[in-house]
Amino acid sequence: MSYYFAIIGTQDNPLFEYEFGTSKQGGDGQSRFSDQARHLNQFILHSSLDIVEEVQWTSGQLYLKVIDKFFNNYISCFMTAGNVKFLLLHQPTTPVSSSSTRNSTSIGANPQSPQTEEAVKNFFTEVYENYVKAIMSPFYKVNMEIRSPVFRSRVAAAGRKYL
Amino acid sequence: MQPLEDARLTESIQSLPMAASAMRPPLKQRQSLADDSSHSLSQSTASLPFRDRRSNPSAASLFQSTLTPPGSRSGSPAPIGTRSPALSGSVFGGGGGFKQSLLDTAAADNPGDPLNLILKSFVPHIAIHSSQDVDRLVSEKGFKGGLWELLRPFGERIQGKVTIRDSTGGARSWDDFSVRFTRFGEGIEDPEPVAGTLRSPPSSSNGPAASPSSSGALIAQVEAVVDRHLTYAEDACMGASSPTTPTRPGLDTDATSPYYALYLRRLLSGIPLACQETFAHPVACIIAISSRNPSPIEALRILYAETSNGPRQLPPWVDQDYLRYYVLIHDEERSDITKSMALFDQMKRHFGLHCHLLRIRSSQSAETDDDSIPLPRSDWMTASEELADIEKSDDVEEFEDPTRHIFESDATAIRTFIREMVTSSVIPTMERNISVWNDQIASRRRGISGRLMSLSKRWTFGSSGRSSGSAISGSGSSSNNNYDALGFYSAVHPEAIMRRLADFAFMLRDWKLAMSTYDLLRGDFQNDKAWKYHAAANEMAALSLLIMPQSLSSKTRLETIGQMLEQAFYSYHTRCSSLYGTVRCTVLALELLRLRGGSGIDEAVRWGIRVLEARLLGPVGDALLKERMAICYASKTGVGSQAWGSRRRKSALWSVLGAEAWIARAKYIQAQRCLNEARRMYSLLPNECGVQNFAVASDFLAHLNEQLKEGLRMDGADFYGRGGGGGGMEGGGLGDGDGEEPEVLVDEEETAMVDHRKAKRASMIITVGGSGAGGGAGLETAPLTPLMPVRLSSVEDEGDGSGAKDGFG
Repeated sequence: MSYYFAIIGTQDNPLFEYEFGTSKQGGDGQSRFSDQARHLNQFILHSSLDIVEEVQWTSGQLYLKVIDKFFNNYISCFMTAGNVKFLLLHQPTTPVSSSSTRNSTSIGANPQSPQTEEAVKNFFTEVYENYVKAIMSPFYKVNMEIRSPVFRSRVAAAGRKYL
Repeated sequence: MQPLEDARLTESIQSLPMAASAMRPPLKQRQSLADDSSHSLSQSTASLPFRDRRSNPSAASLFQSTLTPPGSRSGSPAPIGTRSPALSGSVFGGGGGFKQSLLDTAAADNPGDPLNLILKSFVPHIAIHSSQDVDRLVSEKGFKGGLWELLRPFGERIQGKVTIRDSTGGARSWDDFSVRFTRFGEGIEDPEPVAGTLRSPPSSSNGPAASPSSSGALIAQVEAVVDRHLTYAEDACMGASSPTTPTRPGLDTDATSPYYALYLRRLLSGIPLACQETFAHPVACIIAISSRNPSPIEALRILYAETSNGPRQLPPWVDQDYLRYYVLIHDEERSDITKSMALFDQMKRHFGLHCHLLRIRSSQSAETDDDSIPLPRSDWMTASEELADIEKSDDVEEFEDPTRHIFESDATAIRTFIREMVTSSVIPTMERNISVWNDQIASRRRGISGRLMSLSKRWTFGSSGRSSGSAISGSGSSSNNNYDALGFYSAVHPEAIMRRLADFAFMLRDWKLAMSTYDLLRGDFQNDKAWKYHAAANEMAALSLLIMPQSLSSKTRLETIGQMLEQAFYSYHTRCSSLYGTVRCTVLALELLRLRGGSGIDEAVRWGIRVLEARLLGPVGDALLKERMAICYASKTGVGSQAWGSRRRKSALWSVLGAEAWIARAKYIQAQRCLNEARRMYSLLPNECGVQNFAVASDFLAHLNEQLKEGLRMDGADFYGRGGGGGGMEGGGLGDGDGEEPEVLVDEEETAMVDHRKAKRASMIITVGGSGAGGGAGLETAPLTPLMPVRLSSVEDEGDGSGAKDGFG
């Protein structure tokens, strides 16, 4: 399972991007995206903002779960207070057949299982806490790119911990 | 084409069947875009390079269906944005559009629109069986293919209104009814005999080799045809220095890209005469003799006998009881009319009402004759025919113009004949059949007892079936299960009759009856494990449900439709591995779902992705489908000033994917159109910025742009000068890469065309070779240059470096 995490600002601008792989089940935490997938990831994430804009009104939660699917890519979303969105694209290593969803329990194999949902939620929550701390910096302005290495390492840690 | 002839031609167009409107010579279309004052001047310049370029200018007529430059869509006579506001509210708007029948929308009238294509493709098929002397007479007129070739274009639009009564007795008249003429006994697709193993899960052993070979070939032919059209357009547009605007701003969601329409049309024009659906089964058979026949009544008898038994008899799953329509073709020039009239009276006495005396002239009409009109090429020729035509035009130096001419009097006679046949014989027969079958078979099944019967059948039979898997074809099954070991229902079985009932209802546009009958059949076929039938019934049930006006809430409706499509897809694809069925089913469903709007659009795209994922289509179909998905998403309109719920970013994504696919195929005009669409979509976003803030993605876009520019420059510099101008106008959504577009090479307008073309050929081959490596496969293997990873790493380094410098947090 490979992940691409991005924080999207209010102007559809990425504030923060991070790519990582699973650390569960013997994963080494490295993403396995092919070179061609890199730009596609960004396109997919950007395009699923359409869905976010629609789904955000239907739920009272900040965590919107998996909102979109593009071929074998699943996109989970977490809204924050300032209309800044956390988007996580996860790509299982093997394509998930539509019939076996919700059967397999391992996080890596099945992006739509409750376990995965929970893990992603924990990840988002932890990132959110760090994000709030990061933007409390007096030097930070709205829609500015987050370049703090500390924040990056914390996101990485959260990824290792939960995903 | 001289202007004088043009004038005459347009005059005669009014009297011709529908297809004639597409007949305008391509050069004239070019001119019509030009300013009127410079008409005579532009004519000479416009026509010259075009003729130089193609060895045989008349080949253009082969490509008429798509020949308007790709930017302006040929299929739609209406300008962009004429969609009436009331309509967009009810149909294209939110979920409320389900109350209306799709037929009441504008889409049904637009000749290029998929809905119209569906209506025109599932039409009564009329077989033609004629005697030798008829063939001789017709070939004297210049139609080598016999009477079939002569009649075919006229069947595509029946003159005047055709009134059809539905099962409840209500009458509705249609003015776009059509029939399809086929040659008797052509295009039969044999069912695979069911071995015992087929009853077990089919993924294992049964031969998927048999059916896909035929249906796969059809898809391949369709691909080839569309590819030829695209190549031709590429060549023609590059060369033409006429003032065409190759790309028009605005994704008009109403019009279909001519290539996509062509793809669908060719896909639908070759409906095979298969056992699981009866659309291609003859509803009637024209038995024709001519007045030259020495023993006419005897000849009719022989022809009749040939249609009902003997070696040319149709297979047992086809109902033998179709209408026979007897036609006497009177040769106006060489035969005696009084003799013919006497013979015709005799025929009437013998055969009753279903007779016609067709009076035509036997000599060939030349273009220069006073009362000759060009006979349009059939819109619904099959892919293989068109491919053969195109290939012939490539091979032969002395290419003969495929346009045939007939006398106007003949055209009138044929139109009258077909109208009379359809309105007074074919449709009444079908209506009668529908009501008889409905009373005798279907209504019995619909009643309480029918339900009980099927229920009991299911229980007794189902248990034994489940316990003993493959033993079904053994002893006790034959009494219960009409789907015998041969692998089809014979025409006399109630299942086959009901299927015919439903198909007749569908062809006569009685969606409600069709839908309810298909629905009954779905269950039956599933119990019998007749998977091909099951798939076909599900497909048509879903389609008719989509077309008919609906009262339930759209959500439940969509769920039902989704299930039907799911089953159809699974049965076609996995159980029967029928490529043709799968593609037809999903693509048609996709189109109808798109027209339903609202959440139907998301559903439509989901099906599109299924098709792409299963890799059902070839490279051309793939690219066309991606382009189509962009249009799907673009037709979803949002609410309010922010357009909540619209899918602009998605649409742009698919446009980019489409452009990528086209570039990989070296089809730069199409690619340019896609990229422009993407740009326009991005510029429509509330904050007017697309992916430009995403480093890798915008690099990729710039790279695509670069490739496109390169390709166009190699192809034809003169052409691109204008293309860039058009593109630059609506650019701006994308930050980088497109600013410098317009100032590319406008000065090479008058180069030596022939040399140029050779050079272009060569370079084209190179490009194909170069990008072929990456472009062959689907999504994952984008044709990227090695530049890409390098750029990526540099971007990341930069980000890290500056982050460290900043040191905040």
